[in-house]
Amino acid sequence: MSARFRARDRVAIVGYAQSPVVRHADRSLGALTLDTARAAVADAGLTPDQIDGFVTGTLLPTAGEHAVVDGVSVVSADWLAARLNPHPRYAAGFSGLGQIPGLMAMAVNAVASGAAEHVLVHRALHNPAGSYHGTSAGEFRGGLQWTAPQGFFGPLAMMGLTYNEYVQRYGASREALAEVVVEARKNGARLPWSHWSGRPLSAEQYLAEPMLADPIGRLDCDIPVDGAAAFVLTTAERARDLPHRPVHVSGYASGAPPRRRLPAHWPLDDIMAAGATTADRLWAAAGMGLDEIDLVQVYDGFSPLVFLWLEALGRCPVGEGHHYVRDGRIDSDRPGADPVLLSGGSLGNGRMHGVPQLLECYLQVSGRAGARQRSGIATALSCHSSPHLGGALVYSAEPGTSPVHESRV
Amino acid sequence: MTSARRPLPVPDALSAPFWEAAARHVLTLSRCSDCGTLTHPPNVACDACGSTDPRFTAAPVDGRGVVRSWTVIRQSFLPGFADLLPYVLVDVELAEQPDVRLVGRLLDGPDAPLKTGSPVRVAFEDLADGVAVPAFTLAEAS
Repeated sequence: MSARFRARDRVAIVGYAQSPVVRHADRSLGALTLDTARAAVADAGLTPDQIDGFVTGTLLPTAGEHAVVDGVSVVSADWLAARLNPHPRYAAGFSGLGQIPGLMAMAVNAVASGAAEHVLVHRALHNPAGSYHGTSAGEFRGGLQWTAPQGFFGPLAMMGLTYNEYVQRYGASREALAEVVVEARKNGARLPWSHWSGRPLSAEQYLAEPMLADPIGRLDCDIPVDGAAAFVLTTAERARDLPHRPVHVSGYASGAPPRRRLPAHWPLDDIMAAGATTADRLWAAAGMGLDEIDLVQVYDGFSPLVFLWLEALGRCPVGEGHHYVRDGRIDSDRPGADPVLLSGGSLGNGRMHGVPQLLECYLQVSGRAGARQRSGIATALSCHSSPHLGGALVYSAEPGTSPVHESRV
Repeated sequence: MTSARRPLPVPDALSAPFWEAAARHVLTLSRCSDCGTLTHPPNVACDACGSTDPRFTAAPVDGRGVVRSWTVIRQSFLPGFADLLPYVLVDVELAEQPDVRLVGRLLDGPDAPLKTGSPVRVAFEDLADGVAVPAFTLAEAS
């Protein structure tokens, strides 16, 4: 048996800010992120000079040939620190997939270890001009030499293969995906910051869309956007003195290193095998299981990922996610339903890469969700990316007991 | 509008034997000299035995396999594919060693009858002088 996760519920989210999510912002991503970060610090009742840790993940998730320029197409922890508090004790970036669980893990560890007292985490997403994934490259080196010359390139083809494997094996219908996308857009339409604010979608509209990479259509993919979000983390003890009800991080888990495959090749069995271990590690870290979690927010950057996360977490048996979502069972307006897309997700916000799920968990557990506030949410779970390459986090309203005292018991 | 040329692979030290054989329309997988396990693509260490000196050899295989999944590509993000749309990509489990999976175009066209388990065999598309890439065609069930 592995040791207890000693940071469990010892680090809390104490403030946040979310920028407008738009197709193309009228200002630089750096400016947008800096303003968002300042707002998050103020929301936490702190001042920038008190922020001594900065953590982010900077992936620009494009297959195309866009330049990565700090402050323009990405915003690194160093870039932000230099403009908020140029002498932090800790500044770092997460470089894997599943940026939200990855960067939150680094921030929690930094606070729990004392490497920093107040850590600002942010995620800034950019939609470059021109085709998001398109390239004019005439040759490919490295991993892509094995796929691109053969015509296998980009995340649409990736998800087309993965999801068709699912459809062929389990008989999932387009109507099941329609339930997912319509629910995400309904919830996203209610968010003032969302790209899709005020623009819900009907199942008929969804079903009328042509395929891009069968069985994946345009509306199964989140839309690229400019947007930034920031959160402030500190110790549970310090959080007691700050203005908002803290939300403690109970545990986190990221996917096991899965079997090595061709680039962007996600066989269904790889996802579910590694996903099962992701979930096991999450329950062990958080010290609770799925039945103790009041609100689950699954990731939906591609709509089929909703089925895969529901199955990996054990919300339903493997192969039955497409049944689980039918007949209004994830409808946030239906009493007793399981509103796993209450955040609007990526499909209902824009390509914010796991931010909506984290944000909704924070708002609901802290009691700050306004008109969307649900009662009795003391624990929550957010997912990001896929069950095999991404990860998930569990949150709790209750602070943990001191690990120092505990070790003496 | 003239269609652009399809992108080409740039061989490196590990991949050169594969592309040399592919140019002759021979499919090879990388065999670890320590444990004999086949892998694709080759890596700096052997995934099966962990050898850091796997001395991979390019082992010819007959290129038969079964379809595990497929997708119909209707929008291309690469140069040189516009005239080929829509085209089918197949995810193939190779008979030689089923945990090796290759993805390539199915050359039978978008209306070819496909199901999970459909037998396929490797074919090659010649992209330039001395450059060919693997693809697949439907095969008779053996």
